[in-house]
Amino acid sequence: MSFFDALNVSASGLTAERLRMDVTAENLANAETTQGPNGKPYQRQEVELRSVGGDFGNTLAQAMGGSAAPPGGVEVTGIVADKTPDQLVYDPGAPGANKAGYVRMPNVNSVTEMTDLIDESDTYQSDVTAMSTSKTMYSDTLQLLK
Amino acid sequence: MSLLDTTQLALESAMRGSMIDQTYLANDLANADTPGFQAQAVNFQGELQAAMQAGRSPSSVSFSASPEGGVNSADGNGVNAEQMSAQISENGLLYQDLTQVAAAREQIMLTAIGQGGAA
Repeated sequence: MSFFDALNVSASGLTAERLRMDVTAENLANAETTQGPNGKPYQRQEVELRSVGGDFGNTLAQAMGGSAAPPGGVEVTGIVADKTPDQLVYDPGAPGANKAGYVRMPNVNSVTEMTDLIDESDTYQSDVTAMSTSKTMYSDTLQLLK
Repeated sequence: MSLLDTTQLALESAMRGSMIDQTYLANDLANADTPGFQAQAVNFQGELQAAMQAGRSPSSVSFSASPEGGVNSADGNGVNAEQMSAQISENGLLYQDLTQVAAAREQIMLTAIGQGGAA
């Protein structure tokens, strides 16, 4: 366990939340994109998170009597597409409408994205608060030397 | 006879435990959106108390984390972000108290050996 673990852990949370905000922003920006690079409507993207330090090696080391590895924060394992089907919207005048007059729209719900954004921004702020508390603790330690 | 008495060693051990607890609490908050993650924290006061009641030296305590329990959201995540933020603030203030008491006691010792500055 190193001295600045808590700061690094909070930093990993900040990185993950910022990436989630980027992806949410992209989802919102493309909420009406009917033609992606592959000619299909835009598919909503989601960030997959995993906690670091709880992997097999650590669990084994702990079970064999070793000391538990310090928590390593969170990491992004990938950005994956949401498998929800596209929305069909009746709009016979649109250029991409089929014979029945329906247009395939992205599977993005802007209300979901907005609530996600609030959640991400809140978590980001809690991580910042945790980081500044840890920083105060480190500076308290340095005060001991005075 | 050690230069530092049991109280001083206990204070320093509690600081160590508090710092480890801080790492775990920060980790809990960082994983507030990780599916299936369970919160962990270090009950360093409990572990320290148990060690001292058993007559062991406070500096011999090795602190370990224990799960906080409870499921808080549909994806199996057990982190209560508000509770964690409160615990982090509490831990930060506690650490501040510990360092100040430890520093004051060290100052007393410095005064006793004639090295203390003007108060």
